[in-house]
Amino acid sequence: MQSKFIKAQPWLTLLIRLGLGGVLVAAGYLKAIHPQKSAMAVRAYELLPISIANFFGYALPWFEIGVGALLILGVAVKISALLGGLTMIIFIVAIAQAWARGLSIDCGCFGGGGAIDPDQTKYLEEILRDFGFTLMALFLYRFPKGRFGLDK
Amino acid sequence: MSINNNSDKGTRNLVIGMVAFIVLVGAIFSFISNKSSSTAKVPAAVSASDGYGIVLNANATPKIDIFIDYQCPICKNFEIINGGYISEIAANAKAKVVIHPMTFIGAESILAANAAACAADEGKFLDINIALFQNQSGTENSGLWTGDYMKRLGNSIGLKSKSFEKCVTDGTYVDWTKNVAKASADANVNSTPTVKINGKEIDRNTEYMDPVKFKAALAAAGVK
Repeated sequence: MQSKFIKAQPWLTLLIRLGLGGVLVAAGYLKAIHPQKSAMAVRAYELLPISIANFFGYALPWFEIGVGALLILGVAVKISALLGGLTMIIFIVAIAQAWARGLSIDCGCFGGGGAIDPDQTKYLEEILRDFGFTLMALFLYRFPKGRFGLDK
Repeated sequence: MSINNNSDKGTRNLVIGMVAFIVLVGAIFSFISNKSSSTAKVPAAVSASDGYGIVLNANATPKIDIFIDYQCPICKNFEIINGGYISEIAANAKAKVVIHPMTFIGAESILAANAAACAADEGKFLDINIALFQNQSGTENSGLWTGDYMKRLGNSIGLKSKSFEKCVTDGTYVDWTKNVAKASADANVNSTPTVKINGKEIDRNTEYMDPVKFKAALAAAGVK
């Protein structure tokens, strides 16, 4: 059983790298092409001072694209997984506090964002999804070396 | 063996460097293209101190700020429900009305906002405001709104001057739309429509889409 895992792990790492990396690049890209909306989404969390929220709105998508690209290419996987995982945890905390405070917002994770109707919020779904990504990041942190990676 | 290791390390560092470079360039570009421009040409009716919005009745009180995006479907509904009343109080100088055309939905929002600003220069802002909402395409960023479309739309409300057409073709006020966007971002406007009276937002859940409650909210703030 353990040797089966040892055999499979490099492929698992590749799969999870491509999965998590792909999601990060896609999510980053969708936000990067609509920077105003991205800034709006961050402001809607009512967590940061407005100028800092705007800064994150513009910068975060590119950060995601960078981390995602590194994961896909298999370069600096351990640190990218760490950064990706920490980002996901921050997202989970942000969404959870919005939920707890009774805000009605879209997470803005794949573009969009801002205020929505209270009966359209999908907080649990968004948190569970990001938790799944956190687990993927944890796996990559533990097993960073896999097939077709540039890390040696 | 060690030569291989070095060239692998070299490749790896090169890739990291390239990714970092692309990310940095992208981020810097994103920041720069969303900056306000202090040299942007602004329509005569626009006031920088009013968030670069288009101002009607500069000296009246109270002040009503309306943030919209011309492609936003809910803004169209808001215009249908309350547009007549807003036009009436603007025409009778019962309040200072400041319209902020935001452009976050897409490029066609910028075209529309530019056209609205061009129309403001010719005294037909409220007319084009209504015309734009009445001619929303039904899906955002559908490609319906082009420069030519804006000229025809202007035509249909009596804007036939060469200056209007040039203003639309040249995109004279496109830079101004960035100033509006930045000011709206700084004012923490996160969805459209957003209505503020004397700086305070009215109740989104009850007072926006109910014409009676909307009028009451304005009356409570001093609109006679």
